[in-house]
Amino acid sequence: MFGIDDPQIWMAYLLCIGGALGCIIYGLIHWNEKDPEEEN
Amino acid sequence: MAVSTPLLGIAVLVYLMIIFYLGWLGYKNTKAVDDFMVAGRKANPYILALSYGATFISTSAIVGFGGAAGAMGMGLLWLAVMNVVVGIFIAFALFGPRTRQMGKNLRAVTFPELLGRRFDSRFIQGYAGLIIGIFMPLYTGIVLIGGARFVETTLGINYNSALLILTVITAAYVITGGIIAVMYTDAFQGILMFVGMAILLILTYTKLGGITEAHQALTNMAYLVPEALAKGGQVGWTAMPSSGSPIWWTVVSTLVLGVGIGVLAQPQLVVRFMTVKNDRSLYRALLVGGPFIVMMTGVAFVVGALSNVYFFREKGVIALTAAGGNVDLIIPEYINMAMPEIFVVLFMLVLLAAAMSTLSSQYHTMGTAIGHDLYRQFLKKGEISHTTNVTKIGIAFTILVSVILAYTLPPSIIAPATSIFFGLCAAAFLPMYIGALFWKRMTKEGAIASMVIGSISSLAWLALVHAKEAAPLGISQALFGKATLLTGTWTVVDPILIATPIAMLIGIVVSLFTQPIASEHLEKCFENIK
Repeated sequence: MFGIDDPQIWMAYLLCIGGALGCIIYGLIHWNEKDPEEEN
Repeated sequence: MAVSTPLLGIAVLVYLMIIFYLGWLGYKNTKAVDDFMVAGRKANPYILALSYGATFISTSAIVGFGGAAGAMGMGLLWLAVMNVVVGIFIAFALFGPRTRQMGKNLRAVTFPELLGRRFDSRFIQGYAGLIIGIFMPLYTGIVLIGGARFVETTLGINYNSALLILTVITAAYVITGGIIAVMYTDAFQGILMFVGMAILLILTYTKLGGITEAHQALTNMAYLVPEALAKGGQVGWTAMPSSGSPIWWTVVSTLVLGVGIGVLAQPQLVVRFMTVKNDRSLYRALLVGGPFIVMMTGVAFVVGALSNVYFFREKGVIALTAAGGNVDLIIPEYINMAMPEIFVVLFMLVLLAAAMSTLSSQYHTMGTAIGHDLYRQFLKKGEISHTTNVTKIGIAFTILVSVILAYTLPPSIIAPATSIFFGLCAAAFLPMYIGALFWKRMTKEGAIASMVIGSISSLAWLALVHAKEAAPLGISQALFGKATLLTGTWTVVDPILIATPIAMLIGIVVSLFTQPIASEHLEKCFENIK
C-alpha cells in the first residue's frame, strides 16, 4: 500500500488520518449539542 | 542549525512581541480567582484545542520522537494513532464533558481539587498536589534544558543566560496572566507549530519524489538496518519490529502505551476541560485538536523515518550515522541540510514555541498544586482567603525549584524525567480519575489506596526494574548488587503496564470492602451529568 509493505504500518498511517477525520466528523455531529443543564 | 543571524533575530523579536501582547491580553482579562485558575470557565473551544495540543507537544516530542523514528522506523506511528484516539478523542468526548461538569458542580479549580472533592478527602488533594509539586519540576527541568540548549545553539547566547531568559519571559506571563495568558500564548504557538509541521511534511514528500516513491525508497533500504538494531528486532523502517523483540517492547510499552495512555491523567491537560462553558465547546474543540495532534506526532514520525532516504541519497549513509549516532540530532541535521533557509528559521520558532507552550502550562500546574492544593487546601485546610497571591507565590517557588534542578541534576536523573512523570501520573491518578467520573461505588478509601499504591509501585518499578531509569539511578545496584532487580524482557516493560493495573485492582478491591460514599454527595457530584 503506497510503498509500505507491512500492513501494520500502513494501517497505522491510515488510522492517523482516519482519527483526525473522525474527530472532525464527531465535532460536527455534536456541534449544537445541549447540556443537561440547559435542557432542564 | 546555522542561519543568518539578522533574519533569525528579527523573527524571534516579532515572535516575542506577539507573546508579550497575548500575555498582556491575558493579564487584562484576569479579574477573579476563577479567571486565573480555569479561565473563568468560558474559554473559546479552538483556543482550548490549540492550547491542549501545544501543551501536549514539547520540543522533545518533535525532535526526540522524530529522531526515534529516524532510528526505529514508522512503527512509532502507532503512538500517533494512540495520541489522536486516546489523547484527543477519548479525552475530549468521554472524559472532558464529565470532568467539566463535575468540576463546576464541586467548584474545583485544579485536577487534585477535583479528585479531592469528588471523594471528599483533603488528603487526596494534598497528596496529589505533593506528587505534582515534587515530580513535575523534574519534567519541567528537562523541557527547560532542551529549550535553553536550543536557544544557545541557534542564537549563540551563553547556556546559563538562555536558561534564565527563557524562564523569566515565560514566568512573567504565567504569574501575571494566569491560565488565560497561558492559553492565548499557547494558541499562537500552536498555530505556528501546525503551519511549520505541515510545510515540513509537504517539503519532505516533494523532495523525495512523492508519497509512494518516498515510502518505496525507504522500504527498499531495509538491508541497511545497523547490526545492533537488527539484533534487537528491527527489520526495516517501514515495518514493525519482530514481535516480542526488545525494540518491539520498547515501541509498544514505553512509547505507545506509556505516552499514549499516560496523557489521560496529566494534570496540566485535565484542568483544560474545566476552562470551557459547555460540552459542545469540547466537541467543537475536536475539530482542531484531532488534526493538530496528527500534524505534530504523525508528521514527526513520518519525516523522521523518511530522513533516512534523504541522507542515503545525499551522503550514502542512514540518518543515525548522519547524526553521529545521536538520535536527538537527526531532525535538526535533516532540517539544516534539506530545507531552505527561510524554513529553517520558521522551524526554529516552531521548536521555541513547542518548548514555551509546554513550560508555561507546567509552571501554572505545579504552582497551583503547591500554592492552592498543598498549602491552602491541605495544610491550611482552606482557612486562608481565596486569592491568587498564594498560587502566584507557589508558581514562583516551583519555577525556582525547576531552574535549580535544571542547573544541578546530573543528566542520568533528568533525562528520563518525562517518562517518570507520565508513568507516575498514570499509576497514581488514572484509576482514581476513571473511578471518579464513571464508577459511583468507588470509595474514599479505595481512591486513597489506589493513589498511594499506584505511585509507590510506579516509582519502585522505575527505580529497581525498568533498565532505562534503574541502571543510571543505581539504587538496585546499591541495594541488591545488580543493575536491575529482574532481568530479561521485564527490564524494558514500562511501569505503566505494571503499576496502573495494580492501582486499578487495589482501587476496586478496597472500594468493594469499604463504606460507599453518601448518596447526597454523589448526587451533588453527578448533577447534570448524562
